[in-house]
Amino acid sequence: MAVTEKELQAKPEPSCASTSLSNYLWDDHPDENKWADCVHCGMCLESCPTYLETGQEQHSPRGRVHLIKSVAEGKLEVNEQFMDPVFQCLDCRACTTACPADVDVGGLIEEARGQVRQAMPLTGWKGTVSNFFLKDLFPHQNRLNMLGGLLKFYQKSGLQNVARKTGAMKVMPEHLVQMEAIMPELKKPVQKRYKDVDVIPAKGEPKARVSMLTGCIMDVMFSDINQATINVLTHNNNEVVLPKNQTCCGALHVHAGDRETGKKLAKQNIEAFKDADKVVVNAAGCGCALKEYPELFRNDLEWKEKAEEFSKKVEDISKYLYDTGYEKPKSPINKKITYHDACHLAHGQGVRHEPRQLLKDIPGVEYVEQPNADTCCGSAGIYNITNPEMAGAVLERKMENVPDDVEMISMGNPGCMLQMAVGVQKYGRREEIVHTVQLLDWAYQEDEKNGIGKSSAQQTIATGKE
Amino acid sequence: MLFAKKKKKIDGDKHYVSLANIVGETAILYKKEDLVSYDCDGFTIHKSMPKAVVFPKSTEEVAAAVKYCAENKIPFLARGAGTGLSGGAIPLNGEVIISLAKMKQLLSVDFENRQAVVQPGFVNLKLTNSIANKGYYYAPDPSSQYVCTIGGNVAENAGGAHCLKYGVTTNHILGLEVVLSNGEIIEISENGIPDAPGYDLLGLLTGSEGTLGIVTKITVRILKNPEGKQTVLAYFDKAEDGSHAVSDIISAGIVPAALEMMDKTAIEGVEAGTYPVGHPRDIEALLLIEVDGVAAGIDEQIEEILKVCKQRNVREVKVAESEEERGKWWANRKTGFGAMGAISPDYLVQDGVIPRSRLPKVLQNISEISKESGLRIANIFHAGDGNLHPLILFDSRIPGETEKAVKAGTACLKACADVGGSITGEHGVGIEKIEEMRFIFTDEELEAQTKIREVFNPENLLNKGKLFPTPSRCMDVKKVIKEAAAN
Ligand SMILES: Cc1cc2nc3c(=O)[nH]c(=O)nc-3n(C[C@H](O)[C@H](O)[C@H](O)COP(=O)(O)OP(=O)(O)OC[C@H]3O[C@@H](n4cnc5c(N)ncnc54)[C@H](O)[C@@H]3O)c2cc1C
Ligand code: SF4
Ligand code: SF4
Repeated sequence: MAVTEKELQAKPEPSCASTSLSNYLWDDHPDENKWADCVHCGMCLESCPTYLETGQEQHSPRGRVHLIKSVAEGKLEVNEQFMDPVFQCLDCRACTTACPADVDVGGLIEEARGQVRQAMPLTGWKGTVSNFFLKDLFPHQNRLNMLGGLLKFYQKSGLQNVARKTGAMKVMPEHLVQMEAIMPELKKPVQKRYKDVDVIPAKGEPKARVSMLTGCIMDVMFSDINQATINVLTHNNNEVVLPKNQTCCGALHVHAGDRETGKKLAKQNIEAFKDADKVVVNAAGCGCALKEYPELFRNDLEWKEKAEEFSKKVEDISKYLYDTGYEKPKSPINKKITYHDACHLAHGQGVRHEPRQLLKDIPGVEYVEQPNADTCCGSAGIYNITNPEMAGAVLERKMENVPDDVEMISMGNPGCMLQMAVGVQKYGRREEIVHTVQLLDWAYQEDEKNGIGKSSAQQTIATGKE
Repeated sequence: MLFAKKKKKIDGDKHYVSLANIVGETAILYKKEDLVSYDCDGFTIHKSMPKAVVFPKSTEEVAAAVKYCAENKIPFLARGAGTGLSGGAIPLNGEVIISLAKMKQLLSVDFENRQAVVQPGFVNLKLTNSIANKGYYYAPDPSSQYVCTIGGNVAENAGGAHCLKYGVTTNHILGLEVVLSNGEIIEISENGIPDAPGYDLLGLLTGSEGTLGIVTKITVRILKNPEGKQTVLAYFDKAEDGSHAVSDIISAGIVPAALEMMDKTAIEGVEAGTYPVGHPRDIEALLLIEVDGVAAGIDEQIEEILKVCKQRNVREVKVAESEEERGKWWANRKTGFGAMGAISPDYLVQDGVIPRSRLPKVLQNISEISKESGLRIANIFHAGDGNLHPLILFDSRIPGETEKAVKAGTACLKACADVGGSITGEHGVGIEKIEEMRFIFTDEELEAQTKIREVFNPENLLNKGKLFPTPSRCMDVKKVIKEAAAN
C-alpha cells in the first residue's frame, strides 16, 4: 500500500480548481447527490465481501460513502489513508443490490479513485507497470495481438513446460504463477479471422443484425468464446457485425481512477458503434462499463447524450438471446452444472434469470444452484493482481460455496473464468470452467453432428419471455 | 490499492500499542481516516470520534481489552453492526470501541432442546438461514435482520414484525456470557435453563443498551417452522379505516404473527426504493398481515381478516399466492426505512408505543406535527403492537432543519406518552431519547435505575452518557417538556 515520500511530493497543482469541492481539488469530483441518498442504515454491510473479510467499517459500502463524504465536508484529505479503503473495494456492486435507497456506491468510488490518482499519480516502477497495462497495452489491439502471439509461442514451443519444470515460476508472485497455470490455450482472434468480412451471415433467414464487442484482452485470451458467441448468434438467425475501429471498453481504466483514458476509449467506442442497432457483449464487466458511459460524461452534456443513446443499445448475450428467442438444442450435454453470477451481470446489469434459463434449456444438463451464487469471486478486473491477499480470501469463500459434485461452473464473464479456474486449481478441484454461450454452442454443434437440421428445430424457438 | 501492502507499524499513543498487544496489530484502528466510519451508527444526528476501534476474536480478548481500559480509566463501549437507531454505539466521550464484528460464529445448535449458541457478532438472519433446512427458525426479526447482530439485539431488546405473536428478543434468550466492566467474565444461566432462582439477570441485561456489560456469548431459543402461513395485503383509502381494522382484527380474537401498517408517504418511499411492489400511490394506508400456525385454523382466520377489512371499507385486499409474492411484500416492508433515502436526504426515525385503540388519534396528532414543522413524516410500523415508527424526513444541509426534525420527533414521542404510551418500543433510548425519559419516569425512578447501573458499571466507563439523563441536563429537558406541553 505504502506511498513513498517522493510520490507525495510529486503531488501536482490542482488542474481545475474552479470545479473543486472542499478537499476534492480536481475536476470530476464525487457527486454530492450520490451520497445524499445514503441514510447510513447499514443494510449493505453483509453484502460487501471486503467487510465480511475484515469486519471493519471503512472497508464497507456505508463506511466508504461516509469517508468520501467526509472529504467533501473538509474533515479529511485525499491521502494515503483515504486511498486504502477506496482502492480495496472490489467494485463488485453487491451493495447496489442490497441498498434500499439505491445509492450508487460503485459510481462514487470510481469518482473518488479519479481524485486519488490525480492527487497521487503513481510514479516509479508502479507507475511504469500501471501505465504499461492501462495506457500502452489494453487500448492497442495490435500490441495485444502481438503479446497473444508471444504467449501462443510460449505454450506451443514447449517453453511453458520448460518454465514450469525449471522452477522459473518460483520467482514470480504467487498469483501470477497461479494465473500462468490456468492460462487458456490461445486461438486466433475473431477480429483477425473475420478481417475481410463485413457482415457474418445468419445461418437461416436473417431476423436481425447485431454488432458485437470483441473486447481487447478477450479476443486474444478468449477468442474461442467470441467464436462461440458468433456461432450462437448466427445459429439463431442473427447477422453479426464486428466493427473494426472498436477498442477496449475502458472499465479497467475507470476502476483504476484513470477516468481520462476511460473517456477517450468510450468516445472511440461510441463512434465505432454509431450505426449499430444492438451492441451484444459476452463479457459482463465490459457490458456494464458500456452501459455506464453516460456516468463518465455527466459533466459533458454533448457526449452524455451520445453516451445515453449508445448505452441503450448495449445488451448482454444471454439477455439478448432470451429476449429475442433462441433455439432449444436437441442433443444432450449430460453434465451437472452450477452457475456463478458475475457481479457485473447480476448486480451491474440485473441479469440473473436469463443465463440460468439458457442452461436449463439444454437437454441433459442437471442444473444445481449454488449458495451465494452472486457473491464476488475476487477477480474484479485486475483486482486479483493488485490486491492478491483480499482477492485470495474472497476466492476462498467463493469456492467453499461451489457444490462438491458439479462437473462444470458456468458464467458470463472472462475475468471470473480466470479467477475461478485459479480457485479450482488452488483447491485441488476438478470442475470445468465454461462460458454460458460455449455450452449452447457445443450443444448446437452436437445437433449438427447428429444431423438434427435447423429446419426441424425452427419450430422450437423459445422466447424466454413466455 | 495497487501492489503489495506494507506491514503496519503501530505509532502514536502508548495505549494503541498496549491494545494492539491484546488483540493483534491488524485488529486495531486508530488513524483518523479509519475512525471516521465509527463516528455514528444508524442515528446520524450526533457524531463523535472514537479513540480507537479494536476487533477481539475471543471472550478472553474482550475481557483483556476491557480490563486494560478499566485500569487506565479509558471510556469504552461495544458495537455490533452499528444499525442502532438511537445512537447507542456512538462514542460520545471518545471511547475505545470494542467491535464484535469478528466474533461472528454459530457455536452450536441443539435441535433436541431447541437452542442455539452464538457469538455476539453473529448476524440475526444468518441464524434462521443456518437452521432453515431442518425446519427451524429464530423468531425475533427486526427489519435490519439482514445485517444486525444478535449481540446488538440483546442490548436493544430488539423486536420485529413477527414479535406480535412470538415476543421480542428477551423472550428468546436462554443464557448469556458477559464481560463485566472490570473485565471479569460471568455466565448467566449457563446451560440455557430458564427461570433460575434468584433475580432475573437475563431480563435485566437484555435491553440494557450496552451499559451493564459486554455480551460475548448468547444461548437463544429456536422454534419449529409453523405448519402453515398466509399473508394478506390490504389497501385503504382512509388511514382511519386502516387503524380501526387493526383493532378489529385483534378484538376478533386473532393473534396474527405480524400486523404492519404503512401510510401514504411511506408507500411513496418504498415504491421509490429498491424493492417496489406496485402499491397504489393514492391510498392513505396499507396493512400487511400474516397469520401462521396449525394449517387447519389458518383459512378461517384469513376469512375473518378479509371480513373485517371489508367492513372497514378496504379498497382492495389480497392473499399472497406464492412464496415469491410473499417474499416481495416483506422485502418491500423490511427495507422501508432505508428506502426513505430515495425520497429524502435524511430521516429521523422515532419509536413510540401506544395502546392500539389510540392509533387513529395519535396518527392524527402526528399529521398535525408534520404540518406545524413543515417536514414530511412517513409512518411505517408494527401496528399490531401499537409500536409506531414516525420517520421524519429532512435535509441536514438546510440550516435549521435538523433541529426542526429533532423537535418534531420529540413532539411525536410526547403524543405517545400523553395517551399512556411509551417513548421506545424497540430502538432503545441511547442518546436520542435520553431527555424524553422524563416524559415517563420521575427523578426518583430514574435515580433508582441509575443505582442499578452503578452496581455493574461503578466507574461509568462503559457506554457513558446513554440511557439515563444526567442531572445537569435536567433544566434543558424541562424547557422542552414545557414547550411541548404549551404547543
Ligand atoms: C433499517 C433499520 C431497520 C431497523 N428495524 C428494527 C426493527 O424492526 N426492530 C428493532 O428492534 N430494531 C430495528 N432497528 C434498530 C437496530 O437494528 C437494532 O437496535 C439492532 O438490535 C442493533 O443491532 P446492532 O448489531 O446493529 O447493534 P449496534 O448498533 O452496534 O449497537 C446497539 C447498542 O447495543 C450495544 N451493543 C452491541 N453489541 C453489544 C454486545 N455484544 N454487548 C453489549 N452491548 C452491545 C451498543 O453499545 C449499542 O448501545 C433497525 C435499524 C435500521 C437501520
Ligand atoms: S462494490 Fe463490492 S466491495 Fe465495493 S463497497 Fe460495494 S459491496 Fe463492497
Ligand atoms: S449505502 Fe444504502 S444500504 Fe448502505 S448505509 Fe447507505 S443507504 Fe444504507
